[in-house]
Amino acid sequence: MAEVRIEHVFKRFGAVTAVDDFNLVVKDGEFVSILGPSGCGKTTTLRMIAGFERATEGTISIGEHVVSSSEAGTFVPPEDRDIGMVFQSYAVWPHMTVAENVGYPLKIKKVPKEERERRVQAMLDLVHLGEYGKRYPNQLSGGQQQRVSLARALVAEPGLLLLDEPLSNLDAKLRESMRFEILEIQKKTGITVVYVTHDQSEAMAMSDRVVVMSMGVVQQIGAPHEIYTSPANKMVADFIGLINFLDGEVKGDRIFLVGNDSHSWANKNGLEGEVTVAVRPESITMSADGGEFRGVVTHRFYLGDSVDFRVDVNGHIVRVIKKGSDIEAFPDGSTVYLDFDQVMFFKRN
Amino acid sequence: MRSRINSKTIVISVSVLLLLYFVVFPMIILLYDSIMLDGHVNFQNYANVYSQDVNWKALTNTVQLSLVVMIVSVIITFPLAWLVGRTDLPGKKGFRTLLVSSYMIPPYVGAIAWVQLLNPSVGYINSILRWLFGLETAPFDIYTFWGLAWVLTLFYSPFAFITISRAMEKMDPTLEEAARVAGASPLRTVLDVTLPLMAPSILAGGLLVFIAAGSCFGIPSIVGMPGNVEVMTTRIVTYIYMGDDAGVRDSTALAASLMFIANALLFGMTWMMGRKDYTTISGKSTRPNIVELGKWKIPAVLGVSLYGAIAVVIPLGSIVMTSFIKSMSKDIGFDNFSFEPWIPVVTSAQYMESVWNSVVYGVVAATIGTALALFVAYLAVKTNIKGRSLPDLLTVIGGSTPSIVIALALIITFSGNFGLNLYSTMWIIIVSYLVKYLTMSVRTIAAALSQVHISLEEAAQNAGANWLRVCKDIIIPLIAPSVVAGWFLIFMPSFYELTMSLLLYGSDSKTIGVLLYELQTYADTQNASVLSVIILAIVLIGNLILNKVSKGNVGI
Ligand SMILES: Nc1ncnc2c1ncn2[C@@H]1O[C@H](COP(=O)(O)OP(=O)(O)OP(=O)(O)O)[C@@H](O)[C@H]1O
Ligand SMILES: [Mg+2]
Repeated sequence: MAEVRIEHVFKRFGAVTAVDDFNLVVKDGEFVSILGPSGCGKTTTLRMIAGFERATEGTISIGEHVVSSSEAGTFVPPEDRDIGMVFQSYAVWPHMTVAENVGYPLKIKKVPKEERERRVQAMLDLVHLGEYGKRYPNQLSGGQQQRVSLARALVAEPGLLLLDEPLSNLDAKLRESMRFEILEIQKKTGITVVYVTHDQSEAMAMSDRVVVMSMGVVQQIGAPHEIYTSPANKMVADFIGLINFLDGEVKGDRIFLVGNDSHSWANKNGLEGEVTVAVRPESITMSADGGEFRGVVTHRFYLGDSVDFRVDVNGHIVRVIKKGSDIEAFPDGSTVYLDFDQVMFFKRN
Repeated sequence: MRSRINSKTIVISVSVLLLLYFVVFPMIILLYDSIMLDGHVNFQNYANVYSQDVNWKALTNTVQLSLVVMIVSVIITFPLAWLVGRTDLPGKKGFRTLLVSSYMIPPYVGAIAWVQLLNPSVGYINSILRWLFGLETAPFDIYTFWGLAWVLTLFYSPFAFITISRAMEKMDPTLEEAARVAGASPLRTVLDVTLPLMAPSILAGGLLVFIAAGSCFGIPSIVGMPGNVEVMTTRIVTYIYMGDDAGVRDSTALAASLMFIANALLFGMTWMMGRKDYTTISGKSTRPNIVELGKWKIPAVLGVSLYGAIAVVIPLGSIVMTSFIKSMSKDIGFDNFSFEPWIPVVTSAQYMESVWNSVVYGVVAATIGTALALFVAYLAVKTNIKGRSLPDLLTVIGGSTPSIVIALALIITFSGNFGLNLYSTMWIIIVSYLVKYLTMSVRTIAAALSQVHISLEEAAQNAGANWLRVCKDIIIPLIAPSVVAGWFLIFMPSFYELTMSLLLYGSDSKTIGVLLYELQTYADTQNASVLSVIILAIVLIGNLILNKVSKGNVGI
């Protein structure tokens, strides 16, 4: 298994800087996700690790080997990097059977036929496709093809597994069960994983650590709960989960909502002037009798297991999600009181 | 509502009837004639024809030539398409244009060029080699089987190049990347993944070359006939030129065989492509995987340049140069170049009449054809009437039938035996162009029409417009660029058409292709070159316009 070090990596396409000073160490056996909106440079980063894209600057090492270094002029081609890769489009070869697909990396390595067959069968069993070896890919569903692709990526026991949005062509149900399967397999094999996705719940659920990117720049690296509870900046807070951004201001050493002085918070980070007060809808407690802020319910949306409210607090529209399905407890126009928990403050721009 | 259905039905029925009458009926007559003798079904015609060695030899020559041309084209084209499409070859765009451009050179012009270069007596290349190495005899003789194969390969390999590079572009590049991460080198990836995945397209491209080479008349007549290398098409023309009933009967048997081979191959190909469809879901994150050539960069550039030079630059250069040589008997030098040779050609009323004829026939054919193509494409793409793609299929059949077969079928059908007599008029020529080239226009317009959403039409109908009005106000403006492109796709090949014109022209309807063919057969190299340059210039201008209106999506 292998550790991956990415140091000061840049990738420029002409005038566009797709990846801007990327630094990351993926520990041996760790599951790291790269998360970010479309076009932020996730794929480009992964393809540089794989060797399909040359870094404009910086160094990438896998295990003991420097595979790409702009300074030293080193560049190891993909076939010599000892990696497995799973593509969004499955990339299962339609002219080979499932077993031939999975066995291909072993064939390249000249593994003897009997051993190859044994390992292919073991791999197919692992991804629950034990019976499907003789089929052709066009006789498989999307989810099955993606499992073939996973088996093929793992069969040669590479040190590193790269996945680029492997689940985004699958339907929602299948996506959930495949998440679980990929995690299971990672636990069993102990392989190091770099996983690219734009789906935050996927990243949160699967990873040891998450790298949040935006416009080519790494915004934060941390464990899922860290990213969620203490986002490094507004972008991360906004991208991960739902959040209210409310206009606030610093008065003395306290922070207030603009036009409201019923409650204030200590200004721990020494912010100045105009600030943004951020609070997640599920971190707000709503009651009919007293609290930090007084507001009026303006809209309600029934979500089944919860109700999504909009509450007007002195002109601030606050989103509140309340567990349970009792939509009549706070009718439109009723006066309610809100208590904010886990409040974050950012500079307003 | 009523008026819409009526105008639509009328227009559509008329176009179907026209197509049946001008495309299907003549071919049926041709087939019928080939198997009828004195009112009985009788294969005596075929027996007669193939019992003669010369015809049997022509058949085997055709098959052997087409096979050689097909195989060599594919072998040359696959690496070219890969280099241009999938590597960091410098100047890829320019090379691509160069490699497809021999597609727009009329084949017989190419043949004339190669005769100038490689004929054993005064061919430029032969002369240079003799002078360089002090050889007694010319090293090359173009008037042979291999000479013919050489010219056919250079002029028909673009068919394979276009088919193969299109398939390469369409292929999901992650399929190749997956092989790379699995440990395969770039070369191994090509062998294990790229090549097998592209096999159906490679075969399809090869068959197109096979059919085109086998149906070609221009090149074998100029390169093959002088050395007595006969093929099916040249035999058919020889029989037709005999002019008597027996000649025509024999030619029908040969033409029917040729038609049968071509169509059988085409249907086989379509069936196979339909069965082995390797198209896969491709993710949005796919970008072509560009292979770095590294130390192979310079050899690759040299190789591709060499091919481009041989296929396009040298033959065209030869024609252009010859057209400016003052005296063919003197050595080539700057003092021997001038515009003089052009003056007799451009001032000759006889020559200019042929140029004018070709322009007029091309314009008429393109205009009628575009109108027809609009209806045929509309019917196929925009309606759900039963049999809606029948007219489309009829045009495809016309397009895939060898020109020589179309010409012969039109001769025996429209010489008055079945009512209509078009023999020796310009109309029979125009009909032949339409039968042969309508399908290109239909394809282009159909592709554009399928992009126009039905709701746009429905909105206009709600506003009270009838169907013809909807076409005029909504559909045509939206697809105008493709309509213009479709027009040129009929005009240009019609303008320089040779085979059908040669069999169908009358004393007042000689076209530029026929004139050029005559000059070449009278060994008037000089005037032939001038005329060739004029044709090339017009075709080039047409292509530039076509490129402009279609934004580079369509071209000949
Ligand atoms: N070959 C290229 N040439 C030019 N620009 C490129 C190239 N590859 C990527 N880019 C640009 O780099 C940026 C990052 O692209 P990348 O594919 O890494 O995004 P991504 O985060 O994977 O997005 P998505 O979620 O949509 O897949 C984009 O702005 C993209 O347009
Ligand atoms: Mg991506």
